[in-house]
Amino acid sequence: MNNTLLELENISYKYKNNLILNKVNLKINSGEKIALLGKSGSGKTTLISVLNGTIKPTQGVVKLFNRSFEELDRKQKCKITTIWQDLRLIEDLTAEQNVNCGLLAESNFYFALKNLLNISSFKKAHKYMQLCRLHSSIYDKKIRELSGGQKQRVAIARSLIQGSNILLADEPFNNLDPKLITTIKNLLLDNVDKNNKKNSPKTTLVALHRLDLLNDFDKVIGIRDGKIFFNIKTTNLKKIHLDKIY
Amino acid sequence: MNKLKFNYTSLSFLPILVCIPLGYQLITNIHFGGLKLFQEFLISAFNPKIDNEIIIIVINRLNETILIGFFSWLLSIIFGAIFGILSSNIFYKIFNIPNFFFIIIRVFLTIIRSIHEIIWGILLMQIYGINFSIGIIAICIPYIAVNSKVFAEQLETIKYESFESINQINAPKFSTLLTLIWNPIINTFKNFGLYRLECSIRSTVILGLFGIGGIGTSILLSFQTLNFRELWTYLWSLAILIILSGLIFKKIKFNNTNKILSIFFILVFFITILFSFSYFLYFIFNNNFENFNYVSSLFKSSSYLGLFDFLKLILETIILSLLSTGIAISLPPLLIGIFDNNTSIIFIKFFAFLLRLIPTPVILLTLLTFNNPSLSLAALTLGLHNAGITSKLLLTNLDSQDKRYYIAMKSLGISKKTSWLLGLFSQQAKSYLAYCAYRSDIIIRETAIVGVIGSVGLGWQLQESLSSFAFQEVTIVLIAYSSIAIVGELINGKIKNSLT
Ligand SMILES: Nc1ncnc2c1ncn2[C@@H]1O[C@H](COP(=O)(O)OP(=O)(O)O)[C@@H](O)[C@H]1O
Ligand SMILES: [Mg+2]
Repeated sequence: MNNTLLELENISYKYKNNLILNKVNLKINSGEKIALLGKSGSGKTTLISVLNGTIKPTQGVVKLFNRSFEELDRKQKCKITTIWQDLRLIEDLTAEQNVNCGLLAESNFYFALKNLLNISSFKKAHKYMQLCRLHSSIYDKKIRELSGGQKQRVAIARSLIQGSNILLADEPFNNLDPKLITTIKNLLLDNVDKNNKKNSPKTTLVALHRLDLLNDFDKVIGIRDGKIFFNIKTTNLKKIHLDKIY
Repeated sequence: MNKLKFNYTSLSFLPILVCIPLGYQLITNIHFGGLKLFQEFLISAFNPKIDNEIIIIVINRLNETILIGFFSWLLSIIFGAIFGILSSNIFYKIFNIPNFFFIIIRVFLTIIRSIHEIIWGILLMQIYGINFSIGIIAICIPYIAVNSKVFAEQLETIKYESFESINQINAPKFSTLLTLIWNPIINTFKNFGLYRLECSIRSTVILGLFGIGGIGTSILLSFQTLNFRELWTYLWSLAILIILSGLIFKKIKFNNTNKILSIFFILVFFITILFSFSYFLYFIFNNNFENFNYVSSLFKSSSYLGLFDFLKLILETIILSLLSTGIAISLPPLLIGIFDNNTSIIFIKFFAFLLRLIPTPVILLTLLTFNNPSLSLAALTLGLHNAGITSKLLLTNLDSQDKRYYIAMKSLGISKKTSWLLGLFSQQAKSYLAYCAYRSDIIIRETAIVGVIGSVGLGWQLQESLSSFAFQEVTIVLIAYSSIAIVGELINGKIKNSLT
């Protein structure tokens, strides 16, 4: 059985004559937990944007379930969720409204309207916000009144509530203290919602700078100047690998 | 940097030079026949007629004005928001619609916007007769287009990142759209939409002067019969209405999280749309279109307007706009700068209020009591009315400005006027000019109002052609008028961009 979920075939991405991704090949299999390493500016965010379809590569094919993005319908694209490095929350809405935005895909227009009018149910949103250790006092605060770490966790809650199979997280541990990092890491890598079968097996790719967290991942990918330098099992990772990319 | 600031300052004063040709023409046209009338007009301001009879008339007439003003405001805000969304980039990005439609709708709105509500009013009255709903429709047509521009501009402030992140959630497209536009739309309504009620009421008054009813019609009748005391009763009651309409919304604090209020607004929104559509259908089915046949036969009428006359009218309209804009830009800073003491400022404020309150046609008629009709007189009228508006803005901004430079300069022994100029006004000059650029858009459109009465420019020709049922001429005049307004809007847009 072929259990490849996401596949990049010979992807290059050019921006104003700069080659930002250079002939990248990558397979992400169902249930894998992958760490993406690389220094700032190496192309991690760009790679994630290609994987979730927001950036169209200059060359090469992106395949989800063996089909290119153009062939997929809306429901199939929902299988991917992203935690953005710059969070991309809606500043004028409250924290709970932002988290509820994660439910927009599976709900109708009426739900979107109720969410904006503040009369929808926030039960599910609150559950995920609790999992992210967000205090109930900030539920109805506007995003711009929150601290960096609180915003970060609102973005994580919005992403997790979508219940997607594939999670792409771009430096999700920014602004978090050590204790929270452990909590969030467990959330991202374990099954959040054990009662909800839809959520199993969770495939995760996390861009990060914390080498001490690598043991929790199955695989490590190293990227430098838009090229993948290694793509190996975590147990095989040696110091020479890291020397190559940093 | 300082040099640049000084340039903006001098640019705010230079346009006063328009007073030289203007003053020359005004002086040669002066006559003393109506001076006594003018005196009477001024004195009556302090002695308006107040008795039971007139109070009942005022209440009835104000009711009409409020009804037309309110409904045209409500409709133009709601449909302005809808057209704002339809002409915003975000809509086309979410629904993947070709840019072609975007251009079509923007051009359509620009053309509609370029023609003043007075002209729509005169045209519609000519075709359908005087009728309550014609007033609302005449105001709504340009207002919807103006409001939609403001809404669309606010929607352009939505960050591309927010769009991408909601888009990436892959929600149904309408949910995505609604979630993204919600806050910009509500904020625009709060900051801009509420203030538009006052504008609708003013426009209703002006339409009233052209016969649509309400307090405007009474104002004109009392002027024509030289009942100045009655005239001032109407003007002061209008002042109270305008002040109240401003205050009501200042007192209501709109809170997004107030559920009942939100649901109320949504209901009003849908009821208004439903009502408008049913009215539209009623209009279609109850109109036997005889009027249209009549109109289309008139289109075949030939035009007696010579090319030379026509170009002259266009030139007149442009000169009229330029002269008025010059006065509107330079008069306020000049007066405030020269008479910079508390008593004078109060006097200037009061005078500016009167200039905003009295509809331009009435200002013009008043000035006609001692001056023969001329282009300069029309320009003076339009300039003064708009100076009333720019000076309000300038005074408010000067009030809220940091006064440290000004105080420091005065303490250095620099004269009070120089300190005012360099320490206070020069900080404002750039944003003041940017606002004036926006204002001159409106001035170009308003040339139609004074044109009709002051017998200058395209506005006058329009009235002439309409009353002689020469619809081909009307069409030509409308195209010329709208082209001037559109070119003006483009130029002013460039100026505004370079100033902000
Ligand atoms: N929008 C953009 N405009 C210009 N350059 C960009 C843009 N996005 C990314 N880049 C460039 O692409 C390279 C990779 O950026 P990025 O993917 O953000 O790296 P990382 O996430 O690993 O820090 C960098 O050199 C960056 O300067
Ligand atoms: Mg990055």
